[in-house]
Amino acid sequence: MKHIIEEESKYAASAKAFRANVTRDLGNEELRSNFRGAMDYLMDKRKGAFSSEEELEVLREQCKLIKQRCLAKLPHLLEQLEGNLEKNGIKVHWAETITEANEIIAQLIAQKKGKSVVKGKSMVSEETALNDYLEERNVECLESDMGEYIVQLAKEHPSHIIMPAIHQNKKQVAKLFADNIEGFEYSTDVDTLIQQGREVLRNKFCQADVGISGVNFAVAETGTLCLVENEGNGRMCTTIPDLHIAITGIEKVIEHLADVPPLLSLLTRSATGQAISTYFNMINSPRKPGEKDGPQEVHLVLLDNGRSQAFADEELRQTLQCIRCGACMNHCPVYTRIGGHAYGTVYPGPIGKMISPHMLGLEATTNLPTASTLCGACGEVCPVKIPIPKILLRLRQESVKPKSQQPEVMKGQGAGRNNVEALIWKVWAQVHKSPKFYALSMWGLTRFRFLMPKKLGGWTSVRTAPKPAAATLHERINAKQKKAKQEKQSQHGRG
Amino acid sequence: MTNTKADIKAVSNTARGNILAKLKAEVNGADYDKLPKEIPYDYPEFSREENLAQFISELEKNHAQVIKTTKDNMAEVISEQLAALNITKLLYGDNDAHREIINALNSKIESQVYDFSIDNNKEMLFNECPAALSSSRCSIAATGSIVLWPDENEPRSLSLVPPVHFVIVDANKLHADFASLITAQQWQDKLPTNVVLISGPSKTADIQQTLAYGAHGPKALIVLLINI
Ligand code: SF4
Repeated sequence: MKHIIEEESKYAASAKAFRANVTRDLGNEELRSNFRGAMDYLMDKRKGAFSSEEELEVLREQCKLIKQRCLAKLPHLLEQLEGNLEKNGIKVHWAETITEANEIIAQLIAQKKGKSVVKGKSMVSEETALNDYLEERNVECLESDMGEYIVQLAKEHPSHIIMPAIHQNKKQVAKLFADNIEGFEYSTDVDTLIQQGREVLRNKFCQADVGISGVNFAVAETGTLCLVENEGNGRMCTTIPDLHIAITGIEKVIEHLADVPPLLSLLTRSATGQAISTYFNMINSPRKPGEKDGPQEVHLVLLDNGRSQAFADEELRQTLQCIRCGACMNHCPVYTRIGGHAYGTVYPGPIGKMISPHMLGLEATTNLPTASTLCGACGEVCPVKIPIPKILLRLRQESVKPKSQQPEVMKGQGAGRNNVEALIWKVWAQVHKSPKFYALSMWGLTRFRFLMPKKLGGWTSVRTAPKPAAATLHERINAKQKKAKQEKQSQHGRG
Repeated sequence: MTNTKADIKAVSNTARGNILAKLKAEVNGADYDKLPKEIPYDYPEFSREENLAQFISELEKNHAQVIKTTKDNMAEVISEQLAALNITKLLYGDNDAHREIINALNSKIESQVYDFSIDNNKEMLFNECPAALSSSRCSIAATGSIVLWPDENEPRSLSLVPPVHFVIVDANKLHADFASLITAQQWQDKLPTNVVLISGPSKTADIQQTLAYGAHGPKALIVLLINI
């Protein structure tokens, strides 16, 4: 048996280039206005979807506890899910790495001699870069979600987990269609554009022999794969082709069917402000004898890719509560300004900063947890109450820990450690522990303030350098009190 | 990098073992009786009229057309709607209730029963079926959702592929919300191949947040509401 040769995620390199990406995208005015417009729209939508603050809070608390319960039972629920899916006729596969997942899918397709794949929206298959993998094996893999279709035409990847083409405006899409679709007459009318996309993609649905989808919730109790969508492409991919392969992360399993309604309600309202999506699709089995349509075979690929690492730490485990609503990015002042591609990862924004280090390791993602103002907006809107700012702080700590410190919680621990910085903090801590040292250092800092350099690297590129005061606050207060006392005494003397 | 010969069954088995072992090591000895109590939001109770009004308003907000009608009038309503849309053919699910309606349709309308396997008929289904008629199992007021429970007589693609979808909804089968529906009907005991909740025509806002209808599924959802 040949072993699978693990390929490094293509996102490792782009995540490493974070700073350069940011500089590039901050300078792109069109991009910035596209994001600003989109984020304002989505924040507004969410606000309008929750008429009662009380309902929102009760639901958030309930959904947080649901997800925490399901995580607490995760291995058992995965086994139960597998058992029930197999009972229903759905085959289950497991993959620890992205290459394993891709190889499993590639072989399932090859077994059926599949040549053309239509894909519904699946961020996990973006995570594994499945399209590239299949294309190298001569399988055409077409994205069918309108936004993802646009992104694929542009040879990009999604810049938002819910609205993949949010970084493009209609003029850009019109140009893309004109350049790529034969017979398309340039138009910036959105209806015309969508109808054009519809026409191309309906043909593909009709001809494709494989459909690939993600999963929003996998219900252990019943062996049900739930998909949330508005366009109908998810239903197409899971209904029309002969073979349906779903791929999802191991954290998507939930215990009961009754857990679905509250989670679904918070998901769609937090994401796009909809009370519910146009379609909520619950798949339980392949086509049964006598049925006239539906795939003959259904498979589910369960992917780890770093999730079990997050699971192993109680605090970081909360990362896995995420239901991928995108609200944290919509409300993030950093995401709004730098856009989704600057992060260089599949999942951008606050959720991406939390989860990507587990997937790509801290070496590739050292910068991500620091790309936050810690304003707290993400944590406040998160429907499952993940304390995102706290987790980012924790990741910063993991990133600067000494490499050898045990236990190693994360792959790439210490990748962000800088010896000079570590030394500075050590000295700082010592100074602050001893009053004598502290007084002495303050005395030095104020008396030798003229030694302060005018340029301090990145800090002074857009700011002036800080200048210590001539005397410390302590000294000034002491002096003031002394003066007041003297005045009082001299007044006394006269009276 | 040819991985083509790796045995995916073995890969999957090893991965399964490793993943489960890692996870189990973390939850070993956990006491699941001590999990905190999950308290759902207590939604107010609504009257039948309120629920109906909510159901209709949600659907209309989502661009569905809701027509209040009766069993006897249904054929006429469908005929009118098809004429207005310039459609002369209707695909329908194979059940007795539908056959009555179909028989009463305007004679200009050609009808076709979905009694064929999709396998060799995809082109026809995609290109020659402009409208479809399906039934529904029940519906949900809070979100304006219609529950479809496809079976051998009413295939899944009936409500998906044709650009216009007529769906018959019985007002007597309206439930307040999704949670109470699942509990009332004990869904966990008996789910079919596929269940789908439909809350409007297919749509997308993927291009510059501009809402457009008829993304991939039906462009129009026409709800025939009976027993009001
Ligand atoms: S972290 Fe919270 S807000 Fe962000 S996508 Fe996940 S669930 Fe939504």
